[in-house]
Amino acid sequence: MTDSLAIEAIGLHKSFRDVQAVRGLDLRIVRGEVFGLLGPNGAGKTTTLEMLEGLVVPDSGQISILGMDWRDRGAAIRTRIGVQFQSTELDDKVKVREALEMFASFYPRARAPAELLGLLHLEDKAEAYQRRLSGGQRQRLALGLALVNDPELVFLDEPTTGLDPQARQGLWELVRQLKREGRTVLLTTHYMEEAEVLCDRVGIMDRGKVLQLGAPRELIAGLQRPSIAEIEFLGSAPDVQPFAARWGRTVEATDQVWAVPLTDARIDLQSLLACIEALNLPMQQLHVRRASLEDVFLQLTGRSLRD
Amino acid sequence: MNMRIFLQQLKMGLILYVRVPAAVFWIVAFPVVMLVGLGTVFGGKEDTAPKLVWERAGPLSPADTLLVAALAERGTTVDPETAADAEARWKVGKLPAMLTGQDGRYGLRINSYLVGQAMQTEAAVQEAFLVAQSRARGVPDPARIPVVMSSPGGHRGGPYAAYLLPGLLGLNLLMIGVFSTGIVDVTLRAKGGYKRLATTPLPRYVYLGAQLAVRIIVVLIAAALLMLVGAAAFGIHNQGSYLSLLLVQMLGAACFISLGYVLASFAETPETYSGIANLVFLPLMLLSGVYFSLDGAPAWLQGLADLLPLTPLLRVLRAIFNDGAGFANQWRPIGIVGAWTVVLFGAATRRFRWV
Repeated sequence: MTDSLAIEAIGLHKSFRDVQAVRGLDLRIVRGEVFGLLGPNGAGKTTTLEMLEGLVVPDSGQISILGMDWRDRGAAIRTRIGVQFQSTELDDKVKVREALEMFASFYPRARAPAELLGLLHLEDKAEAYQRRLSGGQRQRLALGLALVNDPELVFLDEPTTGLDPQARQGLWELVRQLKREGRTVLLTTHYMEEAEVLCDRVGIMDRGKVLQLGAPRELIAGLQRPSIAEIEFLGSAPDVQPFAARWGRTVEATDQVWAVPLTDARIDLQSLLACIEALNLPMQQLHVRRASLEDVFLQLTGRSLRD
Repeated sequence: MNMRIFLQQLKMGLILYVRVPAAVFWIVAFPVVMLVGLGTVFGGKEDTAPKLVWERAGPLSPADTLLVAALAERGTTVDPETAADAEARWKVGKLPAMLTGQDGRYGLRINSYLVGQAMQTEAAVQEAFLVAQSRARGVPDPARIPVVMSSPGGHRGGPYAAYLLPGLLGLNLLMIGVFSTGIVDVTLRAKGGYKRLATTPLPRYVYLGAQLAVRIIVVLIAAALLMLVGAAAFGIHNQGSYLSLLLVQMLGAACFISLGYVLASFAETPETYSGIANLVFLPLMLLSGVYFSLDGAPAWLQGLADLLPLTPLLRVLRAIFNDGAGFANQWRPIGIVGAWTVVLFGAATRRFRWV
């Protein structure tokens, strides 16, 4: 176990009755990095997180958090980590300031509620009932509770699920600040653009295992087909069959757009244009974009993340 | 450190308790409403002299006149009616008793639903009839055994409220355990509130200790209010020691709060919990003589009820409150409640889950 690791997990297994939620998971997260655990629902993200948070005991495998083991240093670990859950977890009738004060009382050293209220931009909601907060405010409060003890390691479970774009931007800024302050962040998400924007490294999970690990750009660059051409039509698209037959490779067709993964944009674009020309397709626009983490998952598993 | 967390949890727990009006109503206001309502309805104080409907067609004979006079001496006035009118009034169901016949050949109909009131009327009518017969024969009035109405605790007046009050004290302990504790436990676990606490250094025993303390404080405040209202409205007072009463209530609270946690450990959602809780609460309430004595129930049922935790608890509470008893003769019921508490507390700590 090295001191530079915030989290080290080796060979984690966990089954619930006959469901194998996690099947041989290895993870090393370096201190100071923002790490994203991605994957569809049921991939085992939550179980993995709960094992790392000390809530679920793995059937087998080793976990080291900040160089300590849950089995003999649980209390010490808890004073140094912060956890944010996805769902609301507070009593409806608790006020924002009271919640911060209550959580502060659990720790030997805690940040003042006023400081956190400022950080979270919740000053004018300090005396509001938790129940009356908007989704974004509630998520910020949950994040604030996770930061009460000035933690070295922060777990964020789907921190922006259900938020509007503006609220999401606000939370992203808070996560970036955590990184600037030198904290380690482990977050789960199913928004790929969120992972690309926030995370130094991501692990893509499916069926209880990490399929691929790396910086988002590296994962995308490592794809066999790292670019996507999108053909847009005015109105509805024509029948894709003749094109697919002539092109001879994968095409994802929706009502108005065909997405065509390209191996090498320079060469493939020419043959693509030739194809379009030959079939005289009523194309309106053609974009070429960099593949996203979404495409990484699709190409790794053959399935879309949202399935 | 842990003391500081405990006090913070206690303060927060009390604040959150008071912010939920329904919780305050059921534990603090409901027993007062029950005491005042039922204590008044079944008060047993007769403000107006009972009227006896008499189905009678003809004029009064000398024997009838003597009976009316003797009844009047016993505070009962008669209300003569024709056969048809008397029958109509009887059918309404509000008459406890009705006198029939004339001139020495009387009959008395007793309403089987209102035996308690009818028995008093019957006693008065029988006595008046004996007196009337003696006077007709010119002999002295027959002597009668003097009767004094009194409750076991020696209270004057309001005997039902005095019976009810300790019952409500015990019922409140059951309610705070099964409803106010168990439902909170299930809800917090289902919402992930416990999970969140489990990731903090808050020790489990500090959390549970504070939850227990909050509920004991609330239930004792409710008990004090109930006794104040009992004293003000019905003039009933604790005949025993307040310390004994406090100790027994704390034992009962520990027993039923443990019960709440045990029941909650079997439910995943608040909805399933309501079902389980009522399944336990209703039989306990009905079998334990909260509102009425079970003395008329079959022996096997009484024997069964004696083994449930609420019946012996109420027995001890009534012995202290109504009869001023100490613990000396109460060891058997205290032992039964104590045994339940040990079993339930053990099960609650074993089965309690954060996640």
